[in-house]
Amino acid sequence: MISRRSLLKSTAALGTAMAGVNLVGWAKAWAATEMLNTPEDGATLQLLRWKRFVQSEEDSFLKLVAAFTEATGVPVEVLNESLDDVQPKASVAANVDQGPDMFWGLYSLPHLFAEKCLDVSDVCGHIGQKYGGWAPSAETYGKSGDKWIAMPVAYNANLINYRISAIEEAGFSEIPGDTEGFLELNKALKGIGKPGGMALGFASGDGNAWTHWCLWSHGGNLVDENDNVVINSPETEAALTYAKALYDAWIPGTASWNDAFNNKAFLAEEVFLTNNGVSIYAAAKRNAAEGDAKAAEIAEDMDHAFWPIGPAGSPTEFHICYPLLGMTYTKYPSAVKAFMQFMMEAENYQPWLEGAVAYLSHSYAAGDDFAFWGNDPKLAAAKPAAYRTLTAGGKGSVGEKAASALADFVVLSMIANACSGRATPADAMKVAERQAQRIYR
Amino acid sequence: MAEIGLDRPVERRETSGAWARLQTNRNWLGFWFMLPAAAFLVLFLAYPLGLGVYLSFTDTRIGRDGAWVGLENYEWLMGMAPIADFFGTIANELFGTRFAISGDTVFWLSVFNTLLYTIVASVIKFAVGLYLALLLNRHMPFKAIIRAVVLIPFIVPTVLSAIAFWWIFDTQFSILTWMLQGIGLVAADHQIAWLGEETLARASVIFANIWRGVPFIAITLLAGLQTVPGSLYEAAVIDGATRWQMFKHITYPLLTPIIAVVMTFSVLFTFTDFQLIWVLTRGGPVNSTHLMATLSYQRAILGGYLGEGAAISTAMIPFLLAAIMFSWFGLQRRKWQHGEGND
Amino acid sequence: MTDQAAPTVAQEDHREGMDYLETPLSRLVTLWIPLIIIMVVLLFPFYWMGLTAVKPNNELIDLETTNPLWTWNPTLSHIYVLLFETAYPTWLWNTMSVAIGATILSLIASVGAAYAIVRIKYRGANWVGGAIFLAYLVPPSILFIPLATIIVQYGLFDTPFALILTYPTILIPFSTWLLMGYFKTIPFELEECALIDGATRWQILTKIVLPLAIPGLISAFIFCFTLCWNEYIYALTFISNADNKTVPVAIVTSFTDGDVFRWGSIMAGALAGSLPLVILYAFFVEHYVAAMTGAVKE
Repeated sequence: MISRRSLLKSTAALGTAMAGVNLVGWAKAWAATEMLNTPEDGATLQLLRWKRFVQSEEDSFLKLVAAFTEATGVPVEVLNESLDDVQPKASVAANVDQGPDMFWGLYSLPHLFAEKCLDVSDVCGHIGQKYGGWAPSAETYGKSGDKWIAMPVAYNANLINYRISAIEEAGFSEIPGDTEGFLELNKALKGIGKPGGMALGFASGDGNAWTHWCLWSHGGNLVDENDNVVINSPETEAALTYAKALYDAWIPGTASWNDAFNNKAFLAEEVFLTNNGVSIYAAAKRNAAEGDAKAAEIAEDMDHAFWPIGPAGSPTEFHICYPLLGMTYTKYPSAVKAFMQFMMEAENYQPWLEGAVAYLSHSYAAGDDFAFWGNDPKLAAAKPAAYRTLTAGGKGSVGEKAASALADFVVLSMIANACSGRATPADAMKVAERQAQRIYR
Repeated sequence: MAEIGLDRPVERRETSGAWARLQTNRNWLGFWFMLPAAAFLVLFLAYPLGLGVYLSFTDTRIGRDGAWVGLENYEWLMGMAPIADFFGTIANELFGTRFAISGDTVFWLSVFNTLLYTIVASVIKFAVGLYLALLLNRHMPFKAIIRAVVLIPFIVPTVLSAIAFWWIFDTQFSILTWMLQGIGLVAADHQIAWLGEETLARASVIFANIWRGVPFIAITLLAGLQTVPGSLYEAAVIDGATRWQMFKHITYPLLTPIIAVVMTFSVLFTFTDFQLIWVLTRGGPVNSTHLMATLSYQRAILGGYLGEGAAISTAMIPFLLAAIMFSWFGLQRRKWQHGEGND
Repeated sequence: MTDQAAPTVAQEDHREGMDYLETPLSRLVTLWIPLIIIMVVLLFPFYWMGLTAVKPNNELIDLETTNPLWTWNPTLSHIYVLLFETAYPTWLWNTMSVAIGATILSLIASVGAAYAIVRIKYRGANWVGGAIFLAYLVPPSILFIPLATIIVQYGLFDTPFALILTYPTILIPFSTWLLMGYFKTIPFELEECALIDGATRWQILTKIVLPLAIPGLISAFIFCFTLCWNEYIYALTFISNADNKTVPVAIVTSFTDGDVFRWGSIMAGALAGSLPLVILYAFFVEHYVAAMTGAVKE
């Protein structure tokens, strides 16, 4: 009999090959020996998740789900919603105590209605212990007080996506590591007619990612450690001035972009630098495989980079966390927890992440050893996402208030106001301050 | 039943003797016939309307019941000086002034947007709709087909046509931009951010609204035009009236009641529009197309502040009443159809 | 209100008796050119919808090498995806059943209400008529927040009944209004004779009034059906399970792969979602115009 530890090692070494072949057999063994919570008799589950970005991720996920059903006899129905719609659905379901058993959303979703989230401390504690500990940010997202209210499943690294040839043409060999240099790069890109652009519409993913990076990198913060609103500060003003300068160097129209626009524009060679997960690269490779020559060229010519570091002096990235939560109204809490545990076991977790082609990054330490991270150097920047990201709320608590501020796009709106010239930086800050004070009252 | 044994009435007015005898039983009968409609309207309209007003005085959030907070939501939204905020916002938006707003700037912006959207779209819809109705009222071949075709934008679900507009207004792959480039109005490498620049985004969503609204107005006015007796025009032609004179002195006066009704509908539905904006911009860029309806959805369902969202919805009611009153007293010269002694 | 509504429209429309004075040129300038411009603007989005639905993906985002206004390589792949790789048929079925259910309920309620107001003339009928008309002016965007909580109280959340029972509030006022116009056109004498012959109110309604009001019922049906098909905000808020969604809501949310929009399938879905209504109207447009005439004129 192989021990758990050695099984983990061997899977890590062999990659999907082994896990894929024996998934169901392994799952049955797992259900017999490892499962912490035995699903209720006759349990069925509904899981509402964000709609996949990468087809192969969904394929692996469904394989995992099927194996779970096979091993435990619990059918799991997977519902898909676009990224922006998971939260309203979950909110309404929490309000009416009715709906899917599990929601898989983003950022601080569980904290919007923490008291409606199933306590999953046992499963999360177990997984964390077994796999070398959670990333600090994952712990922040998953816990409310001492209690785990959601499984911080994975992160979507939000990175600078750029065309190598374009930045070379603009006179740079790589993405500058500091904010000033980054601005110069954007200006130079505009100068050669190959501008950048980032989403400034109400885009939960990309829009929040870059605006928070911008704010934090300049030392600005919505609230301090004690949740006092401190948005109205010289640092924020500097961030707004910087954002405006970036915005002016970008392609026009970014104010209306949602999460999809930059992908499309990048693939159409309208923008040459943007922020995104690695899904553009994945799409380019997929199209290239279908014989699209232009897509092949883009895939070859693009790369990913970390965000530049600003006056704040340390990385201030904002990657998307995807927490999976169970609802207290579920009739089958044990089945929910069993599923969470099953999903996070390395035998499932690794192939699934591999299917996501680095679109998703692990949230516990053992993930650093997953073999697929060595597959493609262009994807390496996504690996440490969980360890580089700050959390929603910045310095403040990750709770209902931070979730509200994010859902209300307080920071994004402030930056959009300043960028578009609708308000002076001072006015934009005041508006955000007023909003934040209400949220954090 | 009591209906048995009627005398044959000598006139058709219901005040005649036979009908009068039913009076005692009539109220009950009316009640039973009214019951299904009344049940729906009370359970799913009147009750929620009242509940909405109540919610707006609470701090209810998604997931938990709220406590009574009085006017707090309204104070937060409208500030301490609503009138000054209202006009201040209008001045800020129209003339680029920078008056300080004491309330929620986004709320006031949404009020401004809603008014702008409603007024501009309604006026243009009315003008184009009337013009189209006059065109369609003329004698021409394929009349039935043309009318059916004109109605299509109205019958196709708004969301679905909004999606088409979304793609048409796309920043990078807009067919509109392509056509403008083709005829040389726009430089070949220039992309127009139809939904990305504030003024343009407002114009774009207003255009989509007009596009959708014109057929309804045109067809309704056309229906009205057809009730104008042809003999009036013939008499006018004999008197040597010009087309414009005929329109001004015959068509327009006779059409006024219908115009009042159709424009009331149009204004109300434009004012409370949600779907078009939600699909096209979700209120962006920079909130410049947020209407009160979309803002209340954003705050209530997305942000979780049900009480505040309800307050925004409730704040629409005075505007709606004003619009109804305006059409009632300003344009209305006849009685509504619910039978106030007009038969 | 005169006692004829529908027949008016059947008359020929030589309203503006000057047409025969026009030269072909002035007719071209004053009639055909403006008409054609307006028609092109009104129809272009549908052309674009249809074209997008059959264009291959690479042509969709290529405005340079191919003429975007036409395609020589039409593909059925978007439509295939729509029909066989999504729950589109289910959504269509949902929309259809919700629309029919709500429409039938509304018509039953409206017939009763309209008949009661116009013919039974109970005490306060005028007031009730006015109140019903006002109800038409209360928009869904005011009601959806409290309704969401009520739907939950009634235990209807995320079921088709959440829509079937709430849509009538949008439909009843207008169809009542429309039917009142029709009922008024039915001569009193008919009913009186029936009353003398011993018929009950119910018999009068079903045997005499309704058959005569069939054109009005058809118009009301079309109107209600269209509104149901079109409704968005309730469907967006009250339905969460993908299996219960209606076409307008599903289309917007279901054809995005995370952050990639599948425009071809979105457009195919929009087009397919519109077709049932277009067909309905193709058969009944004259009816509809007639009904509007009946409803608006007095």
